[in-house]
Amino acid sequence: MSSGKIQVRGQPLPRVPARNHHMTHLLVCDVSTKRYHREINAISRNRSPSLDSVPTRTDKRQFLRGDGNGKFGRFGGKFVPETLMSRLIELEDEFNFVMSDHEFQEELTTSLRDYVGRETPLYFAERLTEHYKNIVPTIEGGPEIYLKREDLSHCGSHKINNALAQAMISRRLGCSRVVAATGAGQHGVATAAACAKLSLECTVFMGATDIEKQSFNVKSVEGTFKDASSEAIRNWVENLYTTYYLSGTVVGPHPYPIIVREFQSVIGKETRRQANQLWGGKPDVLVACVGSASNALGLFHEFVGDKDVRLVGIEAAGLGLDSGKHSATLAVGDVGVYHGSMSYLLQDDQGQILKPHSVGVGLEYPGVGPEISFMKETGRAEFYTATDEEAIQACMRLSRLEGIIPALEASHALAFLDKLVPTLRDGAKVVVNCSGRGDKDLDTLIQRGMPSSLC
Amino acid sequence: MSSGKIQVRGQPLPRVPARNHHMTHLLVCDVSTKRYHREINAISRNRSPSLDSVPTRTDKRQFLRGDGNGKFGRFGGKFVPETLMSRLIELEDEFNFVMSDHEFQEELTTSLRDYVGRETPLYFAERLTEHYKNIVPTIEGGPEIYLKREDLSHCGSHKINNALAQAMISRRLGCSRVVAATGAGQHGVATAAACAKLSLECTVFMGATDIEKQSFNVRSMKLLGAQVKSVEGTFKDASSEAIRNWVENLYTTYYLSGTVVGPHPYPIIVREFQSVIGKETRRQANQLWGGKPDVLVACVGSASNALGLFHEFVGDKDVRLVGIEAAGLGLDSGKHSATLAVGDVGVYHGSMSYLLQDDQGQILKPHSVGVGLEYPGVGPEISFMKETGRAEFYTATDEEAIQACMRLSRLEGIIPALEASHALAFLDKLVPTLRDGAKVVVNCSGRGDKDLDTLIQRGMPSSLC
Repeated sequence: MSSGKIQVRGQPLPRVPARNHHMTHLLVCDVSTKRYHREINAISRNRSPSLDSVPTRTDKRQFLRGDGNGKFGRFGGKFVPETLMSRLIELEDEFNFVMSDHEFQEELTTSLRDYVGRETPLYFAERLTEHYKNIVPTIEGGPEIYLKREDLSHCGSHKINNALAQAMISRRLGCSRVVAATGAGQHGVATAAACAKLSLECTVFMGATDIEKQSFNVKSVEGTFKDASSEAIRNWVENLYTTYYLSGTVVGPHPYPIIVREFQSVIGKETRRQANQLWGGKPDVLVACVGSASNALGLFHEFVGDKDVRLVGIEAAGLGLDSGKHSATLAVGDVGVYHGSMSYLLQDDQGQILKPHSVGVGLEYPGVGPEISFMKETGRAEFYTATDEEAIQACMRLSRLEGIIPALEASHALAFLDKLVPTLRDGAKVVVNCSGRGDKDLDTLIQRGMPSSLC
Repeated sequence: MSSGKIQVRGQPLPRVPARNHHMTHLLVCDVSTKRYHREINAISRNRSPSLDSVPTRTDKRQFLRGDGNGKFGRFGGKFVPETLMSRLIELEDEFNFVMSDHEFQEELTTSLRDYVGRETPLYFAERLTEHYKNIVPTIEGGPEIYLKREDLSHCGSHKINNALAQAMISRRLGCSRVVAATGAGQHGVATAAACAKLSLECTVFMGATDIEKQSFNVRSMKLLGAQVKSVEGTFKDASSEAIRNWVENLYTTYYLSGTVVGPHPYPIIVREFQSVIGKETRRQANQLWGGKPDVLVACVGSASNALGLFHEFVGDKDVRLVGIEAAGLGLDSGKHSATLAVGDVGVYHGSMSYLLQDDQGQILKPHSVGVGLEYPGVGPEISFMKETGRAEFYTATDEEAIQACMRLSRLEGIIPALEASHALAFLDKLVPTLRDGAKVVVNCSGRGDKDLDTLIQRGMPSSLC
């Protein structure tokens, strides 16, 4: 069996509930279905026949948040083999239950506070704000830049918010074992930590190339994150009843994009509260880096209904959009099905998934979450890019001006401030999601960021 | 000039205020004065003649907190050349001012909240508590173990609490430049970060041996814009060099002490800024279980994190204060940093305290796998706590610390620093002696990212690597 592909022929079918009889032969991983845009079928396939009424789409707010069946406009869905269908439904049911279960929510809130260290601060970056005032002279004083300090979370990034909550769900589902795939390693570390705390066995799959770059963590898979994902999912399918697949980001078949987004949305909820405390209002602009978009949605989701709040996502332009070495899925990608859901992805003319590149390893993903694809399509959010060089420079700048070393992923969001700030009115409040700390990137930064005379 | 010694002969005397006319020829660094226990002279030397009354010692609480002149019983003091005296007095005055200055306190509180990420949680370590229940069977359920999560602070340890506050003071004193010495690098990183935030030039001195062991922190310091200067030896040599650099640039430079050693007022300044740890703990303990902790446990290198946790509870007799020093390869091996366990009293780096010295009064070279604990001395206030019996002190070896670190990683998903792991190691001996339901708070003073290499080499069974 070649690495990454799931063979479904010949496998016995588990008992399948009345809904979702349509089998798909689409594989979960590694096969683009650019040629098979059967969107109408996709919608009917996922609609439960037991519902008396079809959810309407006249409520714009609900429209923006997905229709409850994992569809965000034409994006999302559940493109998976039958073997996984029942598992996904079981997960969805459990998720819906825990979201309104007082005991679960209390345990989660306590863990987020005492284990993770929430709430993370909303920090006024005075010297960074001054820096932009000096290079963009204005009459009153320029925008104010605030950093949402997810870098202070346990394990050093926002990933723990989701890993912890899903590990709690996996325990409720009676799983003894968790599998995950990781790119930069942050999700791997967060998952490992959460599993240790909750006494679960944990296996993390990581691309060999990524293991080299990020010297953390466990099982080596040839290739990068997309290959590790495929392998992790395969491992899950082979051990379906003991194992929980802990997705690190807002991609994958329904209900994963919604689950991960909901657990990351604590970022945005806190930001709203803190903005109100700090300046008695809302942010004007939210800026976040976009790999698959989990930290971005975590910050944005709370504000989706606030039209006066701009949502700005920055993708990795790597060595430049023309170089072919980048991860700018929304900038230059096409729509297709990948890893179980329909979304934008980086593919060539034959529908082959392209190999992404970024100095921010956590941004190296050839796809992007369906909900973010929908935000692009509806124009609710704006998307731009930043190159490796710009990200490195932005990282050095924050280190020297504020004494905070951000992760290279988050540095892409910081890099965009150069272009954003001159366009904003004085006193505009900008919140940048500092989604992780840069400890893991020290080698790269020293090699490429420091003038050699200072090393 | 040999490294570490300050020549005072021939230097012009700066204008010296009326008090403290007695010059001392004692040098700040590297000379033990074991043979010169002139304690009575020391007290009279430091007492300001302008005071009308001598502070009495009948108030036990004040006694425990030092007499306001930097003395804790016979420990502490200001054993420095005249050149530094006026600077130290200026610092003391500024410190006293900012402690009651509303503007300073507000800026500090905001920075601690938004920059550092305080307050740090008091985390109930359920699986660790369970672990001890299983190996020490009791009727009711055994003690409960809580971790004060200083590992979640910006830069990964408690050091930032003090570095930030002192950097703010240095700016008020009109200094453009800060010097510091660091062992494991945590204080260096914290100082570099605080200086970047406050727009101060920063030079960090670090022992060459330590630079090799802690390259992670060295790289961080450089990225944060600090100059890192290598000094032959370890932390004690780096300290001496930093102080020398300070003396040579006295009016532009602020010496940012990372810990509760040194001449008055440094031990008090650092302890005050670290005492936020204990203050939060009191509040959180009250919220969590409506009471106080029964036992506080912290690792002791020079004792800054320990005093930070303990100080708030010094007056609470029902709270046990337990400090754990580094026994390294064993107390008999000669390779350890257990100053209170086997040291003697003498003057070192400007104050009188316990220190590790041989029969000739030569300072011994300390060792610990927790590099931040490698200091041949200990703060005067902690020496006083030992002498008065207010706190108890034990030790843990390198091996015990490594095992404790692995245990917490596997049971709670928290990788503690090897320094803090010494405190965790002691739970093995402590827990069987406690009553059921006793509340134990361990200061998890830092995270272990900087120790990953050591842990993988020495903590993981080779089959799992």
